[in-house]
Amino acid sequence: MHIPDAFIPLPQAAVYWGIALIFIALSLRWARKEMTEDKIPLVAVLAAGIFAIQAVNIPIPWGTSGHMMGAALAAIVLGSPFAAVFILTLVLIVQGVLFGDGGLTTMGVNILNMGVIGGFVGFYGYKAAYPLFRNIYPAAFIAGWLSLFVVALVTAVEMALAGTFPLELGLLSMGLYHGVIGIIEGSITAAAVYLIHTARPDIMIEPSKVAVAP
Amino acid sequence: MIDDLFLIEKYAYLKSPVHSIDARAKIVLAFSAIIAMVAVPYSTVVYSVGAIFFLLFALLWALSGLSPTVYLKRLVVILPFGIFLIFFQIFVTNPYYESFTVIATLPFGIEVYAESVEFASILLVKFIVSVSFIILLSSTTRTQDLLEGAGRLGLPAEFTLVLGMMLRYLYVFGYMIRKMRQSLETRCFDPFDRHLPYRYRLEKVAYAVGTLFIRSYEQGERTYMAMLCRGYGRESHLYITKKPMRTGDWTFLACGMAVVIAVPILAWTGLFRPV
Repeated sequence: MHIPDAFIPLPQAAVYWGIALIFIALSLRWARKEMTEDKIPLVAVLAAGIFAIQAVNIPIPWGTSGHMMGAALAAIVLGSPFAAVFILTLVLIVQGVLFGDGGLTTMGVNILNMGVIGGFVGFYGYKAAYPLFRNIYPAAFIAGWLSLFVVALVTAVEMALAGTFPLELGLLSMGLYHGVIGIIEGSITAAAVYLIHTARPDIMIEPSKVAVAP
Repeated sequence: MIDDLFLIEKYAYLKSPVHSIDARAKIVLAFSAIIAMVAVPYSTVVYSVGAIFFLLFALLWALSGLSPTVYLKRLVVILPFGIFLIFFQIFVTNPYYESFTVIATLPFGIEVYAESVEFASILLVKFIVSVSFIILLSSTTRTQDLLEGAGRLGLPAEFTLVLGMMLRYLYVFGYMIRKMRQSLETRCFDPFDRHLPYRYRLEKVAYAVGTLFIRSYEQGERTYMAMLCRGYGRESHLYITKKPMRTGDWTFLACGMAVVIAVPILAWTGLFRPV
Protein backbone atom coordinates (compact mmCIF):
# COMPACT_ATOMS: atom_id res chain seq x y z
CA MET A 1 0.00 0.00 0.00
CA HIS A 2 3.05 2.25 -0.23
CA ILE A 3 2.19 4.86 -2.89
CA PRO A 4 5.28 5.20 -5.12
CA ASP A 5 6.68 8.45 -6.53
CA ALA A 6 4.87 9.94 -9.55
CA PHE A 7 1.41 8.77 -8.49
CA ILE A 8 0.69 11.96 -6.54
CA PRO A 9 1.40 15.31 -8.28
CA LEU A 10 3.99 17.47 -6.53
CA PRO A 11 1.66 20.19 -5.09
CA GLN A 12 -0.63 17.58 -3.50
CA ALA A 13 2.35 15.60 -2.24
CA ALA A 14 3.62 18.80 -0.56
CA VAL A 15 0.29 19.27 1.22
CA TYR A 16 0.39 15.69 2.54
CA TRP A 17 4.01 16.19 3.64
CA GLY A 18 2.91 19.29 5.56
CA ILE A 19 0.18 17.41 7.41
CA ALA A 20 2.52 14.49 8.09
CA LEU A 21 5.18 16.83 9.50
CA ILE A 22 2.69 18.24 12.02
CA PHE A 23 1.97 14.74 13.30
CA ILE A 24 5.67 13.82 13.31
CA ALA A 25 6.34 16.86 15.50
CA LEU A 26 3.46 15.88 17.81
CA SER A 27 4.78 12.33 18.07
CA LEU A 28 8.27 13.61 18.93
CA ARG A 29 6.67 15.68 21.69
CA TRP A 30 4.81 12.58 22.85
CA ALA A 31 8.03 10.57 22.94
CA ARG A 32 9.68 13.21 25.15
CA LYS A 33 6.73 13.83 27.45
CA GLU A 34 4.73 10.65 27.81
CA MET A 35 7.38 7.98 27.75
CA THR A 36 8.83 7.84 31.22
CA GLU A 37 12.49 8.80 31.50
CA ASP A 38 12.87 9.80 27.91
CA LYS A 39 12.77 6.32 26.48
CA ILE A 40 13.42 7.32 22.89
CA PRO A 41 16.05 4.56 22.42
CA LEU A 42 13.40 1.97 23.24
CA VAL A 43 11.11 3.31 20.53
CA ALA A 44 13.99 3.38 18.05
CA VAL A 45 14.75 -0.29 18.62
CA LEU A 46 11.03 -1.12 18.45
CA ALA A 47 10.91 0.61 15.07
CA ALA A 48 13.52 -1.85 13.83
CA GLY A 49 11.34 -4.61 15.30
CA ILE A 50 8.23 -3.40 13.46
CA PHE A 51 10.32 -3.24 10.29
CA ALA A 52 11.19 -6.91 10.82
CA ILE A 53 7.54 -7.71 11.56
CA GLN A 54 6.55 -6.11 8.26
CA ALA A 55 9.03 -8.41 6.54
CA VAL A 56 7.35 -11.60 7.83
CA ASN A 57 5.61 -13.41 4.97
CA ILE A 58 1.99 -14.03 5.87
CA PRO A 59 0.01 -16.70 4.03
CA ILE A 60 -3.15 -15.44 2.35
CA PRO A 61 -5.92 -18.03 1.71
CA TRP A 62 -5.66 -17.93 -2.10
CA GLY A 63 -1.98 -18.79 -2.09
CA THR A 64 -0.05 -15.53 -2.26
CA SER A 65 1.79 -13.84 0.56
CA GLY A 66 1.10 -10.55 2.28
CA HIS A 67 2.66 -8.31 4.87
CA MET A 68 1.46 -6.77 8.08
CA MET A 69 1.24 -3.03 8.63
CA GLY A 70 1.66 -3.25 12.40
CA ALA A 71 0.40 0.26 13.19
CA ALA A 72 -2.50 -1.02 15.30
CA LEU A 73 -0.23 -3.46 17.14
CA ALA A 74 2.26 -0.73 18.09
CA ALA A 75 -0.48 1.69 19.14
CA ILE A 76 -2.28 -0.94 21.25
CA VAL A 77 0.74 -2.30 23.07
CA LEU A 78 2.38 1.07 23.72
CA GLY A 79 -0.97 2.66 24.56
CA SER A 80 -0.80 5.69 22.29
CA PRO A 81 -1.52 6.43 18.62
CA PHE A 82 1.57 8.66 18.63
CA ALA A 83 3.72 5.59 19.24
CA ALA A 84 2.49 4.25 15.91
CA VAL A 85 3.12 7.59 14.17
CA PHE A 86 6.66 7.74 15.53
CA ILE A 87 7.53 4.13 14.74
CA LEU A 88 5.88 3.99 11.31
CA THR A 89 7.57 7.28 10.32
CA LEU A 90 10.98 5.74 11.02
CA VAL A 91 10.04 2.55 9.22
CA LEU A 92 8.75 4.44 6.16
CA ILE A 93 11.86 6.66 5.98
CA VAL A 94 14.08 3.58 5.89
CA GLN A 95 11.83 1.75 3.42
CA GLY A 96 11.65 4.79 1.14
CA VAL A 97 15.28 5.89 1.15
CA LEU A 98 17.05 2.54 1.45
CA PHE A 99 14.74 0.14 -0.34
CA GLY A 100 12.73 2.37 -2.68
CA ASP A 101 9.50 0.93 -1.29
CA GLY A 102 7.19 3.94 -1.33
CA GLY A 103 8.54 7.16 -2.72
CA LEU A 104 10.28 10.27 -1.57
CA THR A 105 7.72 12.88 -2.61
CA THR A 106 5.00 10.45 -1.52
CA MET A 107 6.64 9.67 1.82
CA GLY A 108 4.44 12.35 3.40
CA VAL A 109 1.25 10.74 2.18
CA ASN A 110 2.48 7.29 3.21
CA ILE A 111 3.33 8.50 6.71
CA LEU A 112 -0.08 10.15 6.88
CA ASN A 113 -1.85 6.96 5.77
CA MET A 114 -0.03 4.16 7.52
CA GLY A 115 1.38 6.03 10.51
CA VAL A 116 -1.20 8.66 11.38
CA ILE A 117 -4.46 7.17 10.08
CA GLY A 118 -3.40 3.56 10.72
CA GLY A 119 -2.23 4.40 14.23
CA PHE A 120 -5.19 6.58 15.20
CA VAL A 121 -7.84 4.27 13.72
CA GLY A 122 -6.13 1.26 15.30
CA PHE A 123 -5.87 2.90 18.70
CA TYR A 124 -9.32 4.45 18.86
CA GLY A 125 -10.88 1.37 17.25
CA TYR A 126 -9.37 -0.64 20.10
CA LYS A 127 -10.60 1.82 22.70
CA ALA A 128 -14.09 1.91 21.24
CA ALA A 129 -14.38 -1.86 20.83
CA TYR A 130 -13.03 -2.76 24.26
CA PRO A 131 -16.16 -1.83 26.29
CA LEU A 132 -18.32 -3.87 23.87
CA PHE A 133 -16.52 -7.14 24.57
CA ARG A 134 -14.79 -6.48 27.92
CA ASN A 135 -11.97 -8.47 26.38
CA ILE A 136 -8.83 -7.15 24.70
CA TYR A 137 -8.52 -9.79 21.96
CA PRO A 138 -11.70 -9.12 19.96
CA ALA A 139 -10.96 -5.43 20.41
CA ALA A 140 -7.44 -5.92 19.03
CA PHE A 141 -8.88 -7.90 16.10
CA ILE A 142 -11.31 -5.12 15.23
CA ALA A 143 -8.58 -2.49 15.62
CA GLY A 144 -6.25 -4.39 13.26
CA TRP A 145 -8.97 -4.99 10.69
CA LEU A 146 -10.29 -1.44 10.82
CA SER A 147 -6.87 0.20 10.60
CA LEU A 148 -5.99 -1.64 7.39
CA PHE A 149 -9.44 -1.20 5.84
CA VAL A 150 -9.65 2.54 6.52
CA VAL A 151 -6.10 3.14 5.29
CA ALA A 152 -6.95 1.28 2.06
CA LEU A 153 -10.04 3.43 1.50
CA VAL A 154 -8.14 6.64 2.24
CA THR A 155 -5.39 5.58 -0.18
CA ALA A 156 -8.03 5.02 -2.88
CA VAL A 157 -9.48 8.50 -2.27
CA GLU A 158 -6.02 10.12 -2.42
CA MET A 159 -5.20 8.36 -5.68
CA ALA A 160 -8.54 9.53 -7.09
CA LEU A 161 -7.79 13.12 -6.02
CA ALA A 162 -4.42 12.81 -7.74
CA GLY A 163 -6.20 11.61 -10.87
CA THR A 164 -4.13 8.44 -11.09
CA PHE A 165 -6.88 5.93 -10.23
CA PRO A 166 -10.66 6.29 -10.58
CA LEU A 167 -12.58 6.59 -7.32
CA GLU A 168 -15.21 3.84 -7.67
CA LEU A 169 -12.81 1.21 -8.96
CA GLY A 170 -10.21 2.21 -6.36
CA LEU A 171 -12.64 2.08 -3.45
CA LEU A 172 -14.08 -1.20 -4.66
CA SER A 173 -10.83 -3.03 -5.37
CA MET A 174 -8.80 -1.61 -2.48
CA GLY A 175 -11.77 -1.91 -0.11
CA LEU A 176 -12.62 -5.49 -1.04
CA TYR A 177 -9.02 -6.71 -1.08
CA HIS A 178 -8.05 -5.07 2.18
CA GLY A 179 -11.38 -5.92 3.78
CA VAL A 180 -10.26 -9.55 3.45
CA ILE A 181 -6.55 -8.98 4.15
CA GLY A 182 -7.64 -6.93 7.16
CA ILE A 183 -9.13 -10.07 8.72
CA ILE A 184 -5.64 -11.56 8.67
CA GLU A 185 -4.05 -8.36 10.02
CA GLY A 186 -6.70 -8.37 12.74
CA SER A 187 -6.19 -12.03 13.64
CA ILE A 188 -2.43 -11.64 13.82
CA THR A 189 -2.74 -8.44 15.86
CA ALA A 190 -5.05 -10.24 18.31
CA ALA A 191 -2.82 -13.32 18.56
CA ALA A 192 0.33 -11.22 18.94
CA VAL A 193 -1.38 -9.15 21.65
CA TYR A 194 -2.34 -12.43 23.35
CA LEU A 195 1.28 -13.60 23.28
CA ILE A 196 2.63 -10.28 24.53
CA HIS A 197 -0.05 -10.09 27.23
CA THR A 198 0.81 -13.62 28.39
CA ALA A 199 4.60 -13.39 28.18
CA ARG A 200 5.18 -9.79 29.24
CA PRO A 201 2.00 -8.43 30.86
CA ASP A 202 4.01 -5.53 32.27
CA ILE A 203 4.66 -3.94 28.89
CA MET A 204 1.01 -3.97 27.87
CA ILE A 205 -0.90 -0.91 28.93
CA GLU A 206 -4.35 -1.88 30.26
CA PRO A 207 -7.09 -0.43 28.06
CA SER A 208 -8.85 1.09 31.06
CA LYS A 209 -5.71 3.01 31.98
CA VAL A 210 -4.83 4.10 28.48
CA ALA A 211 -3.90 7.75 28.40
CA VAL A 212 -5.49 9.89 25.73
CA ALA A 213 -3.13 11.80 23.42
CA PRO A 214 -0.78 14.56 24.61
CA MET B 1 12.76 -7.22 2.20
CA ILE B 2 14.93 -7.22 5.27
CA ASP B 3 17.05 -9.94 3.66
CA ASP B 4 18.10 -7.50 0.96
CA LEU B 5 19.54 -5.25 3.64
CA PHE B 6 22.75 -7.26 3.92
CA LEU B 7 23.12 -7.39 0.16
CA ILE B 8 22.58 -3.65 -0.27
CA GLU B 9 25.15 -2.89 2.41
CA LYS B 10 27.61 -5.29 0.79
CA TYR B 11 27.41 -3.38 -2.48
CA ALA B 12 27.65 -0.08 -0.64
CA TYR B 13 31.01 -1.16 0.79
CA LEU B 14 32.61 -1.59 -2.64
CA LYS B 15 35.01 1.02 -3.94
CA SER B 16 34.46 3.17 -7.02
CA PRO B 17 34.49 6.85 -7.99
CA VAL B 18 30.72 7.01 -7.28
CA HIS B 19 31.02 5.23 -3.94
CA SER B 20 33.70 7.65 -2.75
CA ILE B 21 31.68 10.80 -3.44
CA ASP B 22 30.45 12.54 -0.30
CA ALA B 23 27.04 11.25 0.81
CA ARG B 24 25.65 14.80 0.89
CA ALA B 25 26.28 15.31 -2.83
CA LYS B 26 24.62 12.00 -3.66
CA ILE B 27 21.62 12.62 -1.41
CA VAL B 28 21.02 16.09 -2.86
CA LEU B 29 21.40 14.88 -6.44
CA ALA B 30 19.17 11.81 -6.04
CA PHE B 31 16.45 13.71 -4.18
CA SER B 32 16.54 16.60 -6.68
CA ALA B 33 16.33 14.22 -9.61
CA ILE B 34 13.27 12.52 -8.12
CA ILE B 35 11.55 15.80 -7.25
CA ALA B 36 12.31 17.21 -10.72
CA MET B 37 10.98 14.04 -12.35
CA VAL B 38 7.77 14.17 -10.30
CA ALA B 39 7.43 17.92 -10.97
CA VAL B 40 7.30 17.46 -14.75
CA PRO B 41 3.57 17.60 -15.60
CA TYR B 42 1.84 14.49 -16.93
CA SER B 43 2.57 15.04 -20.65
CA THR B 44 4.78 13.59 -23.38
CA VAL B 45 7.59 15.93 -22.24
CA VAL B 46 8.18 13.24 -19.60
CA TYR B 47 9.65 10.90 -22.24
CA SER B 48 12.56 13.16 -23.20
CA VAL B 49 13.26 14.31 -19.65
CA GLY B 50 12.98 10.73 -18.40
CA ALA B 51 15.36 9.49 -21.09
CA ILE B 52 18.05 12.04 -20.20
CA PHE B 53 17.63 11.37 -16.48
CA PHE B 54 17.88 7.65 -17.08
CA LEU B 55 21.07 8.19 -19.10
CA LEU B 56 22.49 10.17 -16.17
CA PHE B 57 21.54 7.32 -13.84
CA ALA B 58 23.01 4.70 -16.22
CA LEU B 59 26.26 6.65 -16.50
CA LEU B 60 26.60 6.85 -12.71
CA TRP B 61 25.67 3.17 -12.34
CA ALA B 62 28.34 2.23 -14.89
CA LEU B 63 30.91 4.36 -13.04
CA SER B 64 29.97 2.66 -9.76
CA GLY B 65 31.19 -0.64 -11.19
CA LEU B 66 28.07 -2.51 -10.06
CA SER B 67 26.60 -5.10 -12.39
CA PRO B 68 23.31 -4.33 -14.18
CA THR B 69 21.86 -7.51 -12.65
CA VAL B 70 22.21 -5.94 -9.20
CA TYR B 71 20.06 -3.06 -10.43
CA LEU B 72 17.52 -5.37 -12.06
CA LYS B 73 17.28 -7.59 -8.99
CA ARG B 74 16.57 -4.62 -6.76
CA LEU B 75 14.12 -3.20 -9.28
CA VAL B 76 12.08 -6.42 -9.38
CA VAL B 77 11.60 -6.31 -5.60
CA ILE B 78 10.23 -2.77 -5.77
CA LEU B 79 8.05 -2.89 -8.88
CA PRO B 80 4.91 -4.96 -8.10
CA PHE B 81 2.52 -2.39 -6.54
CA GLY B 82 3.51 0.37 -8.96
CA ILE B 83 3.23 -1.92 -11.98
CA PHE B 84 -0.20 -3.08 -10.80
CA LEU B 85 -1.39 0.53 -10.61
CA ILE B 86 0.16 1.36 -13.99
CA PHE B 87 -1.29 -1.70 -15.72
CA PHE B 88 -4.83 -0.84 -14.65
CA GLN B 89 -4.50 2.66 -16.10
CA ILE B 90 -5.06 1.43 -19.66
CA PHE B 91 -8.64 0.34 -18.86
CA VAL B 92 -9.75 3.53 -17.15
CA THR B 93 -10.08 7.17 -18.02
CA ASN B 94 -8.27 9.93 -16.12
CA PRO B 95 -8.76 13.69 -15.70
CA TYR B 96 -5.57 14.60 -17.60
CA TYR B 97 -7.06 14.16 -21.09
CA GLU B 98 -10.05 15.81 -22.77
CA SER B 99 -11.29 12.87 -24.84
CA PHE B 100 -10.55 9.17 -25.02
CA THR B 101 -10.31 6.93 -28.10
CA VAL B 102 -11.07 3.25 -27.76
CA ILE B 103 -8.37 1.10 -29.37
CA ALA B 104 -9.54 -2.29 -28.22
CA THR B 105 -12.62 -3.82 -26.65
CA LEU B 106 -12.26 -6.85 -24.42
CA PRO B 107 -15.02 -9.17 -23.16
CA PHE B 108 -17.28 -7.87 -20.35
CA GLY B 109 -17.29 -4.41 -21.96
CA ILE B 110 -13.78 -3.55 -20.84
CA GLU B 111 -12.24 -0.96 -23.13
CA VAL B 112 -8.63 0.05 -23.70
CA TYR B 113 -8.04 3.74 -24.44
CA ALA B 114 -5.16 5.17 -26.48
CA GLU B 115 -4.78 8.14 -24.15
CA SER B 116 -4.77 5.91 -21.09
CA VAL B 117 -2.01 3.78 -22.58
CA GLU B 118 -0.02 6.97 -23.08
CA PHE B 119 -0.75 8.05 -19.50
CA ALA B 120 0.32 4.64 -18.21
CA SER B 121 3.61 4.90 -20.09
CA ILE B 122 4.19 8.40 -18.66
CA LEU B 123 3.64 7.06 -15.15
CA LEU B 124 5.96 4.15 -15.89
CA VAL B 125 8.79 6.46 -17.02
CA LYS B 126 8.44 8.68 -13.96
CA PHE B 127 8.21 5.67 -11.64
CA ILE B 128 11.24 3.85 -13.07
CA VAL B 129 13.43 6.98 -13.03
CA SER B 130 12.51 7.80 -9.42
CA VAL B 131 13.13 4.28 -8.24
CA SER B 132 16.43 4.06 -10.15
CA PHE B 133 17.89 7.06 -8.33
CA ILE B 134 16.92 5.58 -4.95
CA ILE B 135 18.58 2.30 -5.94
CA LEU B 136 21.70 4.19 -7.02
CA LEU B 137 21.82 6.15 -3.77
CA SER B 138 21.41 3.20 -1.43
CA SER B 139 23.62 0.82 -3.44
CA THR B 140 26.58 3.21 -3.49
CA THR B 141 26.33 4.80 -0.03
CA ARG B 142 26.78 3.02 3.29
CA THR B 143 23.87 3.48 5.67
CA GLN B 144 26.10 5.15 8.26
CA ASP B 145 27.37 7.63 5.64
CA LEU B 146 23.80 8.27 4.54
CA LEU B 147 22.83 9.02 8.11
CA GLU B 148 25.81 11.31 8.77
CA GLY B 149 25.25 12.99 5.41
CA ALA B 150 21.62 13.62 6.29
CA GLY B 151 22.74 15.00 9.66
CA ARG B 152 25.24 17.35 7.99
CA LEU B 153 22.50 18.46 5.63
CA GLY B 154 20.41 19.53 8.60
CA LEU B 155 18.24 16.54 9.59
CA PRO B 156 17.30 17.32 13.23
CA ALA B 157 19.47 15.69 15.90
CA GLU B 158 16.46 13.82 17.33
CA PHE B 159 16.10 11.98 14.06
CA THR B 160 19.75 11.18 13.42
CA LEU B 161 20.03 9.60 16.88
CA VAL B 162 16.85 7.57 16.57
CA LEU B 163 17.39 6.58 12.93
CA GLY B 164 20.97 5.62 13.70
CA MET B 165 19.89 3.26 16.45
CA MET B 166 17.11 1.86 14.34
CA LEU B 167 19.46 1.15 11.44
CA ARG B 168 21.92 -0.61 13.71
CA TYR B 169 19.21 -2.88 15.10
CA LEU B 170 17.74 -3.57 11.69
CA TYR B 171 20.73 -5.82 11.08
CA VAL B 172 20.21 -7.53 14.44
CA PHE B 173 16.57 -8.22 13.61
CA GLY B 174 17.52 -9.20 10.09
CA TYR B 175 19.57 -12.02 11.59
CA MET B 176 16.88 -12.77 14.14
CA ILE B 177 14.15 -13.14 11.54
CA ARG B 178 16.41 -15.38 9.47
CA LYS B 179 17.10 -17.57 12.50
CA MET B 180 13.40 -17.79 13.35
CA ARG B 181 12.59 -18.75 9.77
CA GLN B 182 15.31 -21.42 9.81
CA SER B 183 14.15 -22.90 13.09
CA LEU B 184 10.59 -23.08 11.78
CA GLU B 185 11.96 -24.81 8.68
CA THR B 186 13.91 -27.36 10.69
CA ARG B 187 10.62 -28.29 12.34
CA CYS B 188 9.21 -28.76 8.82
CA PHE B 189 6.85 -25.83 9.20
CA ASP B 190 6.03 -23.94 6.04
CA PRO B 191 3.45 -21.16 6.38
CA PHE B 192 2.42 -21.80 2.76
CA ASP B 193 1.88 -25.54 3.20
CA ARG B 194 -1.72 -26.19 2.23
CA HIS B 195 -1.82 -29.54 4.09
CA LEU B 196 -1.83 -27.68 7.37
CA PRO B 197 -5.02 -26.02 8.62
CA TYR B 198 -5.02 -22.32 7.76
CA ARG B 199 -5.84 -21.30 11.31
CA TYR B 200 -2.83 -23.19 12.65
CA ARG B 201 -0.46 -21.61 10.14
CA LEU B 202 -1.77 -18.15 10.91
CA GLU B 203 -1.43 -18.78 14.64
CA LYS B 204 2.23 -19.77 14.29
CA VAL B 205 2.99 -16.74 12.12
CA ALA B 206 1.20 -14.51 14.63
CA TYR B 207 3.31 -15.93 17.46
CA ALA B 208 6.42 -15.25 15.42
CA VAL B 209 5.23 -11.65 15.06
CA GLY B 210 4.48 -11.38 18.77
CA THR B 211 7.87 -12.88 19.63
CA LEU B 212 9.61 -10.40 17.35
CA PHE B 213 7.76 -7.60 19.11
CA ILE B 214 8.73 -8.81 22.58
CA ARG B 215 12.32 -9.47 21.58
CA SER B 216 12.66 -6.03 20.04
CA TYR B 217 11.05 -4.48 23.12
CA GLU B 218 13.45 -6.31 25.41
CA GLN B 219 16.38 -5.40 23.19
CA GLY B 220 15.18 -1.80 23.42
CA GLU B 221 15.08 -2.01 27.22
CA ARG B 222 18.61 -3.44 27.34
CA THR B 223 19.91 -0.84 24.94
CA TYR B 224 18.27 1.92 26.93
CA MET B 225 19.76 0.68 30.21
CA ALA B 226 23.19 0.28 28.62
CA MET B 227 22.98 3.80 27.25
CA LEU B 228 21.91 5.17 30.62
CA CYS B 229 24.96 3.53 32.19
CA ARG B 230 27.14 5.32 29.68
CA GLY B 231 25.60 8.68 30.39
CA TYR B 232 22.70 8.84 27.99
CA GLY B 233 20.40 11.76 28.75
CA ARG B 234 18.08 14.28 27.26
CA GLU B 235 20.95 16.13 25.57
CA SER B 236 22.47 13.05 23.90
CA HIS B 237 22.89 13.11 20.17
CA LEU B 238 24.77 11.35 17.41
CA TYR B 239 28.24 12.84 17.14
CA ILE B 240 28.87 13.92 13.58
CA THR B 241 32.31 15.22 12.69
CA LYS B 242 32.65 18.21 10.40
CA LYS B 243 33.67 17.13 6.96
CA PRO B 244 34.30 19.58 4.15
CA MET B 245 33.07 18.79 0.65
CA ARG B 246 36.03 18.21 -1.66
CA THR B 247 36.37 19.76 -5.11
CA GLY B 248 35.42 16.44 -6.66
CA ASP B 249 32.19 16.31 -4.66
CA TRP B 250 31.31 19.87 -5.70
CA THR B 251 32.05 19.11 -9.34
CA PHE B 252 29.90 15.99 -9.23
CA LEU B 253 27.06 17.87 -7.57
CA ALA B 254 27.29 20.86 -9.92
CA CYS B 255 27.32 18.71 -13.08
CA GLY B 256 24.48 16.52 -11.82
CA MET B 257 22.34 19.42 -10.70
CA ALA B 258 22.91 21.24 -13.99
CA VAL B 259 21.37 18.27 -15.81
CA VAL B 260 18.56 17.82 -13.29
CA ILE B 261 17.54 21.48 -13.41
CA ALA B 262 18.28 22.41 -17.02
CA VAL B 263 16.76 19.42 -18.82
CA PRO B 264 13.17 19.74 -17.53
CA ILE B 265 13.18 23.53 -18.06
CA LEU B 266 14.58 23.29 -21.60
CA ALA B 267 12.22 20.44 -22.47
CA TRP B 268 9.24 22.30 -21.06
CA THR B 269 10.01 25.54 -22.90
CA GLY B 270 10.40 23.53 -26.10
CA LEU B 271 14.01 24.53 -26.75
CA PHE B 272 15.16 20.95 -26.63
CA ARG B 273 13.36 17.95 -28.12
CA PRO B 274 15.64 14.96 -28.47
CA VAL B 275 12.93 12.31 -28.78
